[in-house]
Amino acid sequence: MLGWLLRKNTAISEIVKRFISMPFPASSTPVDQANFLALDLELTGLNPRKDHIVSIGWVPIRGQEIVLAEAKHYLINSPVSVGQSAVYHGLHDHQLKNAHDLADILTELLTQYAGYVFVAHNSALDEQCLRYACQRCFGKAPRFRFIDTMQMEWQRLLRQGKVVKHDALKLPNCLKRHGLPDMANHHALEDAYSSALLLLSQLKLGGKTMTLSDLYLLSR
Amino acid sequence: MEVADVTKFLADTTPFDQLDAAALGQLSAHINVYYYQAQDSVKINTDRLMIVRTGIFTLYSDQQQLLTKLQSGDFYGYQQLLTGLTDSDTLICEEDGLVYWLAAEAFHQCRYQYKNIDIFFQRLFSRRLHQYREQQQASRFTLKISDVVQQRKIAIRPEQTAQEAAKLMSDSRVSSLLVEENNKLVGILTDRDLRSRVLAHALPASTQVSQIMTRQPQSIDRHAYLYEAVQQMSQHNIHHLPVTDQGVCCGMLTATDIIRSQQDHPVYLIGEIHRQLSTDGLERCSQQIAALAMTLSKQQVPAYEAGHIITTITDALTQRLIYLAQQKLGEPPCVFSWLAFGSQARMDQSLNADQDNALLLEKEPVGAVGEYFSALAEFVCQGLAQCGITLCPGNIMATNPELRLSLKGWSGRFARWIATPTPDALLKASIFFDLRVIDGSKGLFNALQEDILQRTTEAPLFLYHLAQTALQRTAPLGLFKNFILEQDGKHKKGLDLKKRGISLITDLVRVYALYAGIHEVNTRSRLQQLAAQGIIDSKDSQNLNDAFDLLAQLRWEKHQHDLQNSHDVTNLLNPAEVSGLARHQLKDSFAVINEAQSRVKQRFCREL
Repeated sequence: MLGWLLRKNTAISEIVKRFISMPFPASSTPVDQANFLALDLELTGLNPRKDHIVSIGWVPIRGQEIVLAEAKHYLINSPVSVGQSAVYHGLHDHQLKNAHDLADILTELLTQYAGYVFVAHNSALDEQCLRYACQRCFGKAPRFRFIDTMQMEWQRLLRQGKVVKHDALKLPNCLKRHGLPDMANHHALEDAYSSALLLLSQLKLGGKTMTLSDLYLLSR
Repeated sequence: MEVADVTKFLADTTPFDQLDAAALGQLSAHINVYYYQAQDSVKINTDRLMIVRTGIFTLYSDQQQLLTKLQSGDFYGYQQLLTGLTDSDTLICEEDGLVYWLAAEAFHQCRYQYKNIDIFFQRLFSRRLHQYREQQQASRFTLKISDVVQQRKIAIRPEQTAQEAAKLMSDSRVSSLLVEENNKLVGILTDRDLRSRVLAHALPASTQVSQIMTRQPQSIDRHAYLYEAVQQMSQHNIHHLPVTDQGVCCGMLTATDIIRSQQDHPVYLIGEIHRQLSTDGLERCSQQIAALAMTLSKQQVPAYEAGHIITTITDALTQRLIYLAQQKLGEPPCVFSWLAFGSQARMDQSLNADQDNALLLEKEPVGAVGEYFSALAEFVCQGLAQCGITLCPGNIMATNPELRLSLKGWSGRFARWIATPTPDALLKASIFFDLRVIDGSKGLFNALQEDILQRTTEAPLFLYHLAQTALQRTAPLGLFKNFILEQDGKHKKGLDLKKRGISLITDLVRVYALYAGIHEVNTRSRLQQLAAQGIIDSKDSQNLNDAFDLLAQLRWEKHQHDLQNSHDVTNLLNPAEVSGLARHQLKDSFAVINEAQSRVKQRFCREL
C-alpha cells in the first residue's frame, strides 16, 4: 500500500519544493492583479488530525474572473468509511470506489496553483486538513496563503455596527445577503464556486485600492 | 467539470435551452464569471459573448441616449462577434450583477454545431427575431369522439313507420336515427335510406322502420380518438356511426360532425347563425364564440386566422340581425350599405372588440327613410350588444344619426376631413378610413370608397396630419423585470399590446395605403399590396408583417389565458410574465415599429 510512496518519494518532495519555491504575490499587490483559488473540502469529520478528505473542489479566479474551464471536482479514496458524514456531503462509500488517490490530486493542486492565494469559507479547517494531507502524502506540508470569506464577511458586518448571529455567516446566508445565486450545498465544487462569487462581491465592496494585505487582515 | 448553477441557468436561457446536458457542460467550461458593481462600466469590445446572469445593465449610445437595458438572460457582444465591427456604445452596470463571459471560439463553435442557435443570434442581430420560431411541439391537439359528438340521442323503435321516422328527423334537424328496441341498439336509419329504400321502391309511408333500417350497424366508443372514427367510416364507406358509452348507445357521430370539428367549426357556427329566427337565438349562438376561440387556439390556428374567423362571425351576426330587422320593419325604402369601421373592417377583430358601424344610404335620411333606418340601426346595434359585442363608447354606431348618411353626405364628410385635417379631428376620424361593407349594396359602397381614395392620394396635407397622428404614440424600448422600458427612461407597469404595438402598425400602414390608393383594409393585405406596388421595401413590409403577427399572437394568447382563468379579456400584458424568447421577440418588434415610424416621418412629415 505504501510502496508508491517510497518509489515516488524524491519526486514527491520535489512537488512540495517547487510549490514553496514559487513566491506568493507581495502583500501590496492590488487585489485585481492577484490570482486566487477558491476551494472546498468535504471531510469524514471535523477533526483534521483524524478525519479524511472525501472530496475536493476548486475554481481559480484571475483578473477577478472565475475561470470555469479550470473548475475541478474530485472524489478521494478514503482509508476509512465515510460513516455518518454522508449525511452532510451526500457521498457514500460505494460512490468512492472509483475515486482518486489523494496524492494524485494534491500533486495536481500544488503543481498548477503554486503562487495562488487560496480562498475558502471558514478557511481554518480547510487549511489544516490540507496541511495534514500533504504531510501524510509527501512527508512535508508547504505553507499556504489563505483568505477567509467568512471572516471577511464577519468583519464587514461588524464595521456596519451589526450584531452578527452565527447563522448569518453560513455560506447560503452570505450569498443571499450579497444578492448572489444560492445553490446546492455541501458539494465541494459548488461551495468553492459560491465562495468565489462571494469573494468577487466582497472585493467590489472593498473598493479599488484594496491590496492583498487588506484581505489577510480581514481574514484573521 | 461543470458548476451546476451555471449549467442550470444556461438550460433555462433561450437559445441555449435547446442543448442537451453534455453540450451545456461543454459550453459552461468556456465561461468566465465576473461580478459588476453599480456604476461599473463594462468593457464591451472584448470579443466575447456577454450573458447577463443577474443585475441590470444599461446601454447608452455615444450621444448618451438610452438604448436599452439588459437583464437576466440578455446578451451583448454578439454584434461584434458576428460582424467583427466594434461598437461605440457604453454599457453601465445599474444594479450589481453577475455576468458570464463566453469565449469567442466556444460561441462560434456552438453556432456551427447548432443551426438554431446561429439563427437566433443572427436574428437578434438583424432585429428580425420575431421571425425566429422554436420547433413546433410535435404533439398536435388530438380530439376524441366525446369532444365533438353532440350529447343528444335521437332514437326510434323498429315497429314505428317510415313517415314517423321522417318527421322525427325533420323535427330534430338530423339526418339519421338510432333504432332501439328495449334500449338496445338494433339498427340505424338515415335520410338516404328513406330515399333509396322507401321512395325509390314506391313503398308506403307506413312501412315499418325494421324493414328499411341497416341492421347491426358499426359503432364506436365515445372515448376513442376521432381519427379512429374516420378510419372506421372510410373503411366501411359509411357516414353515420352510433357512439356507445360502456356498451350503451349514447348518440350518433356523423361525417358532418367530423368535418365541423376540424377547421370548419366556425362554418358550422355561421350556419347556425343564419338559421336563427330571433335575437335571443343569436345570443345563444354567440355564447359559443368563446368555446370556439379555445378550440381554435388548441388547434394552434394562428392569431391572424383566428381574427379573421371571429370577424366573419361578427359579420354573420350583423347580417342576420339586418335580415331579422327587415322581417320586422318590412322592405327597406331604398338601397343601403351597412358599413363596419376599425377592426371589423380590417378583419382582425379580437374577443374584446366593440362595435364600430354606420349606414350608407341611397337616399337622404329624411322622413320615412330616416325613420326606417333609425329603427333598423337600433335593432341591429342593440342586437349586437346582446350578442356580446359591446356598444361603442365613442358612439361610432349606426344608431348615431350623424353616421346614417347618403353617399353625398358621407362623401362631403370625408372631403372635409381630408381638406381641412386637424390632428385632433383626425385622431377621432382615422378609424373611419378603414371601412368595409358588411351587408347591403356593394355598388354603393364602392362608389364611396373610390371617392375617398381619389381624394386621399392627392392630399399631402391630409397625409401629413394623418402621419403625425400615427406617430403620436411610440412603442416602448423593451421589457425588463416588472416594467416596460420607455424612451424617456421612465418605467411603467403593464404593456398594452394594442395601444403600444398592434395599433401603431395599423396606423402607419393606413397612411401608406391611403397615400397609394389601396382598396384593401386588412393590414396584412395592405402590406402585401404596398410591397407589390413598390411603395415600401418588401423587406420592411415583411418585417412589419411579422411584427404585427407576433403582437397579434401574443394578444391572442393573452386573451386565451384570460378566458381560461375567467378573467376579463384585456390587452394588458404583465412584463414579468413574459418569458425568454417572447421578451426578445417583443423588443425586436418594438424596434421594427420605431424604425417604420421614423420612415413615415421622413416620407410624409418633411416637405411641408
